[in-house]
Order: sequence, then structure tokens, then C-alpha cells
Amino acid sequence: MQTLKSNFSTSIWAIFRKDLLCEFRSSYSIATLIMFALTALSSVSMTNPGVALSPDFAASLLWVVLFFCAMAGLSRVFVNEQESGTLIGLRMYASGQAVFIGKFLFNLLLLLFLSCFVIPLFVLFFNIDINDWLAFIKILILGCTGIAAVSTLMAAIVIYTHGKQAIFTVITFPILLPQFLCAVNSTVKVFSGLAPEGLLFMFGYNLAVLAAGLLLFDYIWHD
Amino acid sequence: MNFKLIGLILITFTIFVVYAIFAFVPPVEGLGYLVRIAFFHIPVAWVSVLAFLVSAITAAQYLKTRNLKYDHLSAYSAKLGLIFCLLAVVSGAIFAKLTWGAYWNWDPRQTTIFILCLIYGAYLSLRPTIEDEDRRATIAAVYALMSFLTVPFLVFVIPRMYFSLHPEPVLNSAGRLDMDTVMLYVLLAAVSLCSSIYCYLLAHSVSKKFTCTKEMKT
Repeated sequence: MQTLKSNFSTSIWAIFRKDLLCEFRSSYSIATLIMFALTALSSVSMTNPGVALSPDFAASLLWVVLFFCAMAGLSRVFVNEQESGTLIGLRMYASGQAVFIGKFLFNLLLLLFLSCFVIPLFVLFFNIDINDWLAFIKILILGCTGIAAVSTLMAAIVIYTHGKQAIFTVITFPILLPQFLCAVNSTVKVFSGLAPEGLLFMFGYNLAVLAAGLLLFDYIWHD
Repeated sequence: MNFKLIGLILITFTIFVVYAIFAFVPPVEGLGYLVRIAFFHIPVAWVSVLAFLVSAITAAQYLKTRNLKYDHLSAYSAKLGLIFCLLAVVSGAIFAKLTWGAYWNWDPRQTTIFILCLIYGAYLSLRPTIEDEDRRATIAAVYALMSFLTVPFLVFVIPRMYFSLHPEPVLNSAGRLDMDTVMLYVLLAAVSLCSSIYCYLLAHSVSKKFTCTKEMKT
């Protein structure tokens, strides 16, 4: 018979696959996320037809849209489990760290998938010229990793609160700020055709947030 | 502890410091008597950072010991921190208007203190949304530690993004003090006064809270 606590990487993979499968069946998050992004981008573009955005404004618009999409969708990872009554099962199945990493990977995938949708739309709507695609993609991946890591921890926090959705945005933003500022700053550089800076900083931030998340997650996860 | 006596001493100290600021501090070149605002602004800003540090340390203590006293300390310190933070923002904005011509221009210092306000605000709005006392304490502690983690990153990223007009801190980057000695002493007195008011309020609330719970138990 298989032991109840299966080994670490298997449980991460199982949790990740389970979430992916649920998402495939219901397409709950991704549909909302895509429509949210579309609404946000088109509302800006619609009200300013033909206006050329400055690199500064374009970069902050891009990150604001990505951030608020993440806020709209990523808080669901634990709330879903709570609503369907599967939190206890998850607690018994795997260690806190495995749950954290599994959920984090799912959130990251969701965000990256969303970016694949947002970026082409963004370029179409606002006529942005990006010369250095490689650097741009690096910034995107690093930025999404940070957002996913912080949101996963905060999503675990909000399951115990009233008014889950509103408080989620409020508590996530201050913690993400360093990453957010740095991401906007380096995206401005890419949009103006300069070499991006701050990639190492974003990488360091991601590592720190992930490490802290892994350490602190147990306190939230087990009572 | 005799809080009434300490309170009286603090009030006397305050009167003395306010008198010293108006009587002894000479006008500064370029700022004139506006420099007086600094004797309010610097101590208050210092305490708002100190309160943040205390809040994080007591949060870690709570996670270690699970003693609700630390949770209360952490929460109350954050509350006081937010008040001091708002005072620092307002006094800073007035000073900025009078010297730079605008209340707010996202100077690095303004950005930093604003983010500190945001963190305090988020922490304090998170707390009342959780009903269970122990759970609230744990989650608030995790959040306090998590937000404390971002501070070194902010210190690194913000000065690189914004241009600063803010006067050099008292201890400038070369580690040298450049201030008139009288001003320096008055400033140190004001800082210690502000810190003691903070400590007094913190100690007062803890003793009040925990004598109440003791009485309820007996």
C-alpha cells in the first residue's frame, strides 16, 4: 500500500496536475482572467484611439494590467479548495511546502499563459515597438514569478478572512511593490530601446520571497 | 509601573523641548525658521520606522512563543506606527510645499514613507477581517514578517528610480555629523522624547490590556 505522505516531488507534481486538470474542466480562472485583461486594455485603448503612448506610460499600463489580472484570478487557488471542502484532504496528503510549491507553479503557469494573451493585444492596441524581445521576455518571466509567489502566500492568508477578494489586493500590493517598481522601470528601458537593468534585483527578490514563503507557509497552513 | 508619574514627566519634557526649539534653534541659511519643522518631522519619521521594526520583532517572537502578549505588542506598535507615519507625511508635505513648492513629488523619501503607510494600512486592515484570536495573531505575524522582508529591497530600488531633493540625513553618507551643536542636542532631545512617548503608549496599552484579562480570569 502506498504511504499517505508520498514523497516531496511527487506531491508537488500531483497538486500541480490536479489544479491544471480542474482548470481544464471548468476553465474558471483563465476565462475570467482573459476577459479581465481584455476589458482593461481595450477600455484604455478605446478611450484614447490613435494616441501614441510614451514608453513610461505604456510600461506602467502593462504592469498595472498584469498586476490587477493576477489580483482578480490568483486568489482562487486556496479559496476553491475551501469552498469545495478539500482543504483537509490537501493538508493530510502533503507537507505544507509541497502544497505551496505546487500552488505556486500553477499560479505561475496561469500568469505566463495570461501574458501570452496580454502581450500581443498590448502590442496591437498601442503600437509598441519592442526591439529586444529576449530581454522583455526575461523581465516578464521574472515579474510573473514574483507576483505568483507573493499571491500564493497571500491566497493562503485570505481563506481565513472576511471579504477575501478585496483584502487580497490590499495586502499583496505593498509586498509586491519593490518588484513592481523595478519591473516597470526595466520595461520602460526596453520600450525606449535601451538595455534593461534590474534583472538581477528581480531575481534576488523572487528568491527571497520564495524562501520566506516556504518558511512562513507552515504557520498559516497548520493550525 | 506608575503611568501617571511617567506621563507627567513626559509632558514636562515636551514643554521643555518645544521651548528649546523656539528659543535656542538659530535660523538656517536657505531655510530660515522653517527648520523648526524638522524638529517635529525627523523624530516622528524615526519613530514610524522604529515602530515597524518593533512590530516585526514582536511578530517573530509571537510565532516562536505563541504568547498573545507579543501579538498585542505587534498590533499596537503598528497602530502607533501608522499614526506617527501619517504625522511624518503631513509635516514632510508642508515642509516640501514651503521649500520646494509642491506638497508631493515622489521624492525617494516620500515614496518610502508612503510605502510604509501602505504596509501599516494593509496590516491593520487585515487584522479585523479574521475572527479567531489565535489565528489572527499568527496570520498578522506572518504578514508583518513578510512585509518586513521587502524593506531592504525598497531601500535598494527606490533611490535608483527617483531623483531626490530631500536634505541629507543628520548622519550623511560619509558618516560625518554636520549640524550646529545646539541644533544637534535639541534634535537628539526631540528624538528621544518622541521615542519615549511611543514606548510609554506601548507599555501603557500592554499593561492595561493584560491587567484587564487577569481581572476577567479571577
